[in-house]
Amino acid sequence: MHHHNFYYGQQHILARYCGLDDEFPPRIPGYLQHGWNVGCGWNPVHEFFDGAWRYVWSDAPRRRGHSLGRRDYAVTGAPMLYLMDLEPDLGRVPEASRAGTLWFLFHGWDAPGMGAKIHGDHARLISEIKETETEPVTISLYYTEYERAEVRRSYEEAGFEVICFGKRGWNYEGTDRQFLYKQLKAFRKFKRVASNRLATAIFYGVAAGCEPAVYGDPMELEGDNPLFGGQTRIARLWGEMLGKDIDLATARAITDDELGRAWVMPPAELRMLFDWNQRD
Amino acid sequence: MTDSVPTPSVQIVRGEIQPWTDYSGYRAPAGGEPLLALLDDLVPASSARVLIAGPHAVALVELVAARAAALTVLVRSVSDAQDLRAAVPAGHITVITGALDGLVDVPPFDVVIAADGLDRVLGADSPALDWPARWGELRRLAAEDALVLVAVENEFALTGLYDRRPVDARHGDDEWRPLHDDPARPTSPRQVAEALGERVTRLYATFDAAGVSHTLLDAAAAGSARPGRPGARFAVTGLAASAAHTPLLGPVADGVDAAARAGLLAAVAPGWLAVLGSGGAIHTAYAAVESSVLLADLDESEWTLSVRGDSSFGTPARLPDTESVETLFFRLAAAEDVPGFRALAARLGEWAGLGDGVILLDDLYPEGGEFVRGLTRPAGDDAAAALLAAAYHRLRDRLLRAHRRHPWPPWMTSTDDLVVTWLSMSGISDNSGAVKRGREIADGLAEPAGDEPDLRTVLADAAGDRQRATELAGKVFGLERTMRFRDQSLRTREQQIRTMRDELRKLRNSPAMRLHQVTLKVAKVRHPRAFARALKRRILKS
Repeated sequence: MHHHNFYYGQQHILARYCGLDDEFPPRIPGYLQHGWNVGCGWNPVHEFFDGAWRYVWSDAPRRRGHSLGRRDYAVTGAPMLYLMDLEPDLGRVPEASRAGTLWFLFHGWDAPGMGAKIHGDHARLISEIKETETEPVTISLYYTEYERAEVRRSYEEAGFEVICFGKRGWNYEGTDRQFLYKQLKAFRKFKRVASNRLATAIFYGVAAGCEPAVYGDPMELEGDNPLFGGQTRIARLWGEMLGKDIDLATARAITDDELGRAWVMPPAELRMLFDWNQRD
Repeated sequence: MTDSVPTPSVQIVRGEIQPWTDYSGYRAPAGGEPLLALLDDLVPASSARVLIAGPHAVALVELVAARAAALTVLVRSVSDAQDLRAAVPAGHITVITGALDGLVDVPPFDVVIAADGLDRVLGADSPALDWPARWGELRRLAAEDALVLVAVENEFALTGLYDRRPVDARHGDDEWRPLHDDPARPTSPRQVAEALGERVTRLYATFDAAGVSHTLLDAAAAGSARPGRPGARFAVTGLAASAAHTPLLGPVADGVDAAARAGLLAAVAPGWLAVLGSGGAIHTAYAAVESSVLLADLDESEWTLSVRGDSSFGTPARLPDTESVETLFFRLAAAEDVPGFRALAARLGEWAGLGDGVILLDDLYPEGGEFVRGLTRPAGDDAAAALLAAAYHRLRDRLLRAHRRHPWPPWMTSTDDLVVTWLSMSGISDNSGAVKRGREIADGLAEPAGDEPDLRTVLADAAGDRQRATELAGKVFGLERTMRFRDQSLRTREQQIRTMRDELRKLRNSPAMRLHQVTLKVAKVRHPRAFARALKRRILKS
């Protein structure tokens, strides 16, 4: 239905979970949320086709979408949770062996002829990371920043390992289908996950057993649409997820809410929800 | 506790919602003249800290602000807050956007007003608080002895029961959580009183036109109102105002009568407004009339009426608590008691007050041998005959629109014949001018029609059309039968003619006819002797 559904190989994961071909996954009759979202599941100006269903991770985007006059929502839980179910041992190390911080820099976005860069004081952020983290730090840059040599170099020169999990793709091309697999594998060996904005990776990390931290300059995103309230709203609604020392039990409860753990469903149910059963 | 938002003078707490508005959707913010009049009576002239929670009209905010040293207004929509701030820029007013549960760490308020209810005080990100939890959040903000006004929408309202929309299409975009499917929500006057506790000093049944207050009627008075009496009329007009904004299965008026008979008018109102604590003296009822507010108080047997700011209405007027003339007419028509109908019409025709203004039979009450005009008194300086004709036109319209029983045939009801008949029962005959003028007056008084006819009317119209089709088919059958008889008649006559022709032919060939013909020829002979000679010669030759 929409090429966003391929982002990060989410559609592929769900197809595999349902016992279907994950190389050429069947189409989803609607839109699949592809990242944690403070709005209705998508960006404020996303286009929707009439009759398309909206598959979101948790109930909050459904409620917000309802307030915007949108219906035909189905809450599924995040595909990352399904991947964790499919790959219970991927990257897993003994709990005592987990070490270091996987630090995600808030990233820009990309599309041919479009996209937006982030702007902020990287040096100051690096200082704050060094002051805060007590164990080795690995910086994860999305490729939009990874390929900006000046950004990548500033973190490498600070002594951090810098990695990139790949591309989410565009128009069904260039999607790294192992994107979430690689992330999951990485999360399971780190002790902490951190970022300068509360974002999807923090929730993934908490779900994979990491202790979270959100601190530092949140940086500016070009053309950021404040329609849903911006960073101050995040502070009001998810204030307990912000800071350098976050209560883990609280973080796990919030993460379960935001990733929709209670909504995860068995393969047979998901196949029907996506209309993936053969009818002939 | 609060953050600033782009508009500096609006504060923000957790749970705000945007993009969103409660001020220009399908339901207006709490407001309307009757509600303002109640607050004008109730709210003390001076209070230190006042909170208005939920969407309320600017006029209401201004009224309350004039009596508060510090007024806080909490609305959930960011844009509504910004607009409200622009409309009420006074420095002692604080406008906050956010959810009710997000307003924390503030000193208690002396007056708390939630006249819009507790259904529009949370955002999409708020926890799923049921009605008692939301009430708990409001109560948390009120001082122990605070004056509190809180409205409750009634799930059991007639307008809800008669709503023809499916359940999932009734509440627009508000129901990201099913607020109305809340087992803990109070849905009767008794439940409301129990839920709000012992501090409730007054409970009003409220009737609104899509959020704009139309009528406030003391719940106890509503519960004791009987069909056709002034108390019921408050409810009828209020429900009509509510129903005008609801696609209906049937006219709510039928249900109002049944509810009034059961003593349940307060239970089927669209909502309630509870007053906790004490304030200024308030009336039994507040109702919108034209551009003003009717104030009414009920003692044991009669109502005392006045219009806010209008001394010409009466000083004050009194009204017997009796059944309206329209109710009596409807009852007589349903019983097909034409003599009784005629007698009441005659009494009405003799009433001295006939020419004092437009007559609303549903708001005209008999008292002894006289009649008393009721709650609404539209101006009108036409002649008495035209005013009575208007009353009868309106009676006819309401009789037919409600599909009530009556004894008159359709060719009378579909023309002015019925009104002419009733006028003649009242002693007014041959006055076509009055009938015509009466129609014009009645049209001016007609209630606003709903956007679409209710389903029962549509079905009744369809049934009427089927009846008409059956009757027309009967007429066609009758005409065909008549034609068949005529055909038979023609065939019989033709047969008779043929028989006569046969008989005539036989007659022509009979000996008698032949003799007759010969005789005729003989009679034509002019010279008998010559004829005899010629005849003799012919005989001799042969």
